[in-house]
Amino acid sequence: MTQQALAGVKVADFSWFGAGPICANHLASYGATVVRVESETHVDALRGVAPFAKEKTGYNVSGYFNNFNAGKLGITLNMNTPEGQGVGRKLIEWADVFLTNITPRVIERWGLTYENLSQWNPRIIAAYQPMQGYDGPHKSFLGFGAILTPITGYSYISGFPERNPIGLGTNYPDYVINPGHTLVAILAALHYRKRTGTGQRVECAQIESSVAPLAPAIFDYTANGVVQNRSGNHIPNAAPHNAFKCAPLTDGGRPMDERWIAIACFSDEEWNALAEAMGDPDWARDEKFEAFDNRKEHEDELDANISAWTADRDAYALMEDLQKRGVPAGVVQGARELLDEDAHIKERGYYVYLDHSETGRAAYDGPPAVLNKTPGKLQAPAPLLGEHTEYVCKEILGLGDDEIAELMIAGALQ
Amino acid sequence: MPDNDAALGDLRVLDLAGEIGQYCTKLLADLGADVIKVEPPTGDPVRALPPHLDDGSEMSLYWLNLNTNKRSVTLDIENPDARPILEKLIATADVVVESFDPGYLDGLGLGYEGLSRINPDIILTSITGFGQTGLHAHYKAPDIVGVAMSGVQWLAGEPMDPPNVPPWRQGYISASIIGAAGTLIALFHRDNTGEGQHVDVSMQEALSLAQETAMQTWDMNEALRVRAGSRGVIPFDIPGIGVYECNDGHVFGYLGTPGGAPWSEMLTWMVEEGKAEGLDEEPYKTFIDNLNLRFLTGIVADPSTLGEKIQTMAHMVGILRKFTASKSKWEMYEEGQRRRLMWGIVSTPKDIADNPQLKFRKWLTPVNHPERDKTLEYPGPPYRFSETPWTIRMRPPLIGEHNAEILGELGIDKAEWGRLSQAGAV
Repeated sequence: MTQQALAGVKVADFSWFGAGPICANHLASYGATVVRVESETHVDALRGVAPFAKEKTGYNVSGYFNNFNAGKLGITLNMNTPEGQGVGRKLIEWADVFLTNITPRVIERWGLTYENLSQWNPRIIAAYQPMQGYDGPHKSFLGFGAILTPITGYSYISGFPERNPIGLGTNYPDYVINPGHTLVAILAALHYRKRTGTGQRVECAQIESSVAPLAPAIFDYTANGVVQNRSGNHIPNAAPHNAFKCAPLTDGGRPMDERWIAIACFSDEEWNALAEAMGDPDWARDEKFEAFDNRKEHEDELDANISAWTADRDAYALMEDLQKRGVPAGVVQGARELLDEDAHIKERGYYVYLDHSETGRAAYDGPPAVLNKTPGKLQAPAPLLGEHTEYVCKEILGLGDDEIAELMIAGALQ
Repeated sequence: MPDNDAALGDLRVLDLAGEIGQYCTKLLADLGADVIKVEPPTGDPVRALPPHLDDGSEMSLYWLNLNTNKRSVTLDIENPDARPILEKLIATADVVVESFDPGYLDGLGLGYEGLSRINPDIILTSITGFGQTGLHAHYKAPDIVGVAMSGVQWLAGEPMDPPNVPPWRQGYISASIIGAAGTLIALFHRDNTGEGQHVDVSMQEALSLAQETAMQTWDMNEALRVRAGSRGVIPFDIPGIGVYECNDGHVFGYLGTPGGAPWSEMLTWMVEEGKAEGLDEEPYKTFIDNLNLRFLTGIVADPSTLGEKIQTMAHMVGILRKFTASKSKWEMYEEGQRRRLMWGIVSTPKDIADNPQLKFRKWLTPVNHPERDKTLEYPGPPYRFSETPWTIRMRPPLIGEHNAEILGELGIDKAEWGRLSQAGAV
């Protein structure tokens, strides 16, 4: 078998929570050796956040944490001790890539500035993910995904105009946008280093990385002075474009029993196919809905009419029928559907089940892209807290038993 | 245009991608790759999408943002007369990015096998709604369909509304980011081994991780996260958590969570301004001293333990709402943050443009459009490099702007070019 694409790439992962660990998780999935640095004195808060494996407690059973840390070697290191900082430096001398999303104040206190790192290891690629950046008037502002979602504009332009700007129900930029941009930056820097031998500092300030995907709204303001508002599920170039309620899963009336289907028509062809699927009802042949501009003008009425038609239909059967007719449609799936119902994603093997010594068998998100010759693979489940401390000290840093004992006495390996 | 000092300055990318993949090729172009956009002779349909520049020019701001630093050549890829040019271009490219229905390029002999016959170490990146294989591979998948099927839409919105589609094509954006990452992972492998390959990106899979904990919650506990709207997962108001109205907009609070100052710091601020309205007295004072993450986690786990504290909290929420309503959103955000209180401004697009931090870092990037005698402020970089800066060195191309230049580079003379134009191939 061909070796994995990133085999031989060594990553010192000094990150925590979501944006940093997910980035390193992807590097590990394509073959990099990732050492995740944690500390017992300041445990990654995600280890304490639900969901937990059933009837299990402790730091090793959070599905939130575990899903972002598969395939990494986990060590504990107290960077607030001089001895711990010494081990940190050894890791940086070993690594090709350094990664952190810890706040700049702490990174500076630990001496992990690029100035120091590049002296210890001139070829290192040092990736920093500060909330606001390492300079500027808001440099020391606090935050995490929940605060970043409103600050970066997602909340204001998400949802329906008559509602409060509540955001997307998650800490949205933490999971794909920020780790993904950082991953692109690190890989580009690796390619440049291959070509020139030069390492560098990369800064993916989370505010900048998060606002970049909202470019059309920002551009509309800087170029036209237009302040876009929340516009529900409608977009300018499609009608209908919404989610429509279907027959519920059971008649229990609970939110989890709801079933919705997303339907969108961008062209007359798609609209005509939808009308045909609905059995060519008279309302659909009304001139109110004849051309795109008419449908756009009467979109709320259009939505109501379509909703009346979908209300007692099975969402999956409807999706299949509409797709067969060339109408864009997709069930608004929840996690239950993704894991249990979606035969397509099962066939592709996206979700991966791994045996973990404390949680038992659990589902993980798999590698995010399929590479046909060097496919990604989750090498192992997430590490237990400190699981590989001894291994990393011995096998990666080449420390002897006596040195390790001294470090333990100094409290450096906690 | 190539920029050899840039991170990807030695890379040539042939961009056949539609809307779903254009942020991918933008990411590569802005890092220095020579991205050649192959447009149909009538132009890329994405050029027509709103919002447009409000000067009667019909220029799409949406399209402009996605096509910085790219060169444009018009070529009808289905026309056999255009094939020799296309093959010459493919032979010079490192990467091809496309987003056609799976199998379409195979039908033209330009699938991965066809491409690698022309250029054995080529990297082909395919970005589609559901990937190259599987039951739904041929589903029509505009952004909303991918977002719906990814599990992300299910979690967004108020319970009385339909699940919300995130703004501005987040499915396309995620697929493109993962497409760029996948391309560069394949490039790293090629740098080491000389071997190219096919990168297959599914929008559904690329976005799926943004379900946060929903997948694990169902897997581990058979509990289903649903859209909870402004209430979040707790059936009553907790002071300082959620959306608060100001005199000119909103802020979002997450007081009492780790990293930030404790709630008592908020009380200090209110007392200083004479707006505490008794919250500095019992029973509120003691309650505020104990309002921390442990308390919050406890009530999420078992709200029934609260008893009369529900009224205490409701009273505090009312007074805090009066306080925030007396201030502007910028004052709540900046003064709150100076006190290390976890407040965030709910930014409008205007607030993003006015944000002092982004201004200080010169995030907005001026780009000159000389043919319109106009400079536009483009949205800026997602990241910064110390050695190989992110730049917009070239404004987005006019349709076929680089035909002559690129055909010249390929050694195709004017007579041949004329013949191809006649045949409608270019």
